[in-house]
Amino acid sequence: MTDLTALELGAEALAPDDPAWAAAPPVTVPLVPVPVDAQRNAYVRAAWRDRPYGATPSASVSVATHGDRLLMRLEWDGSGPIAGEFPDACAVLFPQGDGPADPVTMGDHTSPVLVWQWRDRLPIQKGMPAVRHLVSTGPGMFRPAPDGASLDAASSVDGIRWSVVLTGPRSALGDRGRVAVAVWNGANEERAGIGAVSSEWSAVQA
Amino acid sequence: MTQQGAAGQLAMVFDLNKCMGCQTCSVACKVLWTREEGEEHQWWMSVNTQPGLGTPKAWEDMGGGWRDDTPVPGHQPTRAEFGGGWDFNYQEVLFGGRGRDAHLQPVDRGDGTTRWGMNWDEDQGGGTYPNSYYFYLPRLCNHCTRPVCVSACPSGAMYKRHEDGIVLRDESVCQGARFCMEACPYKKISFNYVRGVSQHCIACFPRLEEGVAPACARQCPGRLVFVGDAADPAGPIHRLVHEWKVALPLHEEYGTGPNIFYVPPLSPYRLHDDFSVDEETPRIPPEYLESLFGPRVHAALDTLRDEMATVRSGGTSELLDTLIVYRWHDLFGPYTVDPAGLDRSPERVAVQLGRTRAGATEGE
Repeated sequence: MTDLTALELGAEALAPDDPAWAAAPPVTVPLVPVPVDAQRNAYVRAAWRDRPYGATPSASVSVATHGDRLLMRLEWDGSGPIAGEFPDACAVLFPQGDGPADPVTMGDHTSPVLVWQWRDRLPIQKGMPAVRHLVSTGPGMFRPAPDGASLDAASSVDGIRWSVVLTGPRSALGDRGRVAVAVWNGANEERAGIGAVSSEWSAVQA
Repeated sequence: MTQQGAAGQLAMVFDLNKCMGCQTCSVACKVLWTREEGEEHQWWMSVNTQPGLGTPKAWEDMGGGWRDDTPVPGHQPTRAEFGGGWDFNYQEVLFGGRGRDAHLQPVDRGDGTTRWGMNWDEDQGGGTYPNSYYFYLPRLCNHCTRPVCVSACPSGAMYKRHEDGIVLRDESVCQGARFCMEACPYKKISFNYVRGVSQHCIACFPRLEEGVAPACARQCPGRLVFVGDAADPAGPIHRLVHEWKVALPLHEEYGTGPNIFYVPPLSPYRLHDDFSVDEETPRIPPEYLESLFGPRVHAALDTLRDEMATVRSGGTSELLDTLIVYRWHDLFGPYTVDPAGLDRSPERVAVQLGRTRAGATEGE
């Protein structure tokens, strides 16, 4: 299990290039494709069985806190700003409850996973929230989370290299203090359960 | 065909012999449901000329549907393949001082959307003079009995409504994954790029709930659209589909059990090279109609011809009387209420708009 040590910040450093992040060295988190056989949806299994996806090998992850806020900074190589139908995206996953939720399958009905998902947006999509607050009960089986947690994100991109900071309530860590991350390559039409995700939970040492 | 466990199944029959391609159905739908930002290119109801590439471009080659109870992978139609939703260079032509050398045209945004549109290949058709031919094909969501779009949605945003079998989507749950668009073999689902959700025909369910026929049917000047419950044995839809067997689904081989049916088009005879009439061969190739409506199309056309011959010889035809539609309201089954009499207050409209976005799941 990869450990992530959270840095306590004096301010909420939402910008990915905020100098405060220099004190929080990133940890490389290995990613694996969500298995095609784990997809609960027969259409998705049929459409993606012979298509490669989830090839992003890892993401660099830094964690910080500021009061009751949790900040997660992710860096990874995607496909760059949205140019086709689907955007590059990333997410932080938090296991909920006491069940043995599996990050690779993005939870299940008895062990749901809380998801903060950021997506690149077209200029005409600026009215959409930067981050979606979701509950996942399986690969891509996302539904809006019932509570109205205050989430935010900021991003920058250098070629295909994304830097994204997501922030939300620290309480998302719960008692278990575990997170996983996921990324989607938009140029490969990755979305929902078709993407790359942490192969195991990471423990956050706050 | 009623979905197992469903109380009913809304169905429609379009008599293609009466469709004149006027697009009144398309516009009636457009002004009612897809007027907002992000919906410019959406035509939940559309009429295309056949043979043709249709909307989205070459949709019949995009896959989707079911084969042997397994979903068939499909292509998600792109914004360029739908085309349309254009902005025009009004500023340049009308106010830019170039009125004499600039002409009004769609603004090319570099995304391919100006190279196709909802009715791009209107009246091109097929064949060669003097045997060129075409007919019009109105299309909307088929509200299928086995909706593969519902099965393909990972979020569970889509469902088939119990009381009338309409396929709906709760946009507050839709995550914009667009597997529904891939899976739908009829490619009648669009994506709202502004709001990040998929959208499709809702069968005018707020109207149905008030006893009003869908706008595409009620506004049709040709009086060619029947609406009702497919299982009502006394209704015209059941009789046209199951008793007379002259109304057929489009591309039944897609396997989704569509609930929109079509009376196939008859056509005049072909002409020989010397312009004499070939009384053995209709202008629209029967094999082309078979490619759309399946092998039963030949029997359907025979039935129509036989009934016409009966009437010409002085007999009567209940089938033709039904298709003629002497009384307008006979088209609409239980949906004959005049919408002009409904509550159209802004508050009421706001509630109904909210319900359409929530896929009818919000209480009033």
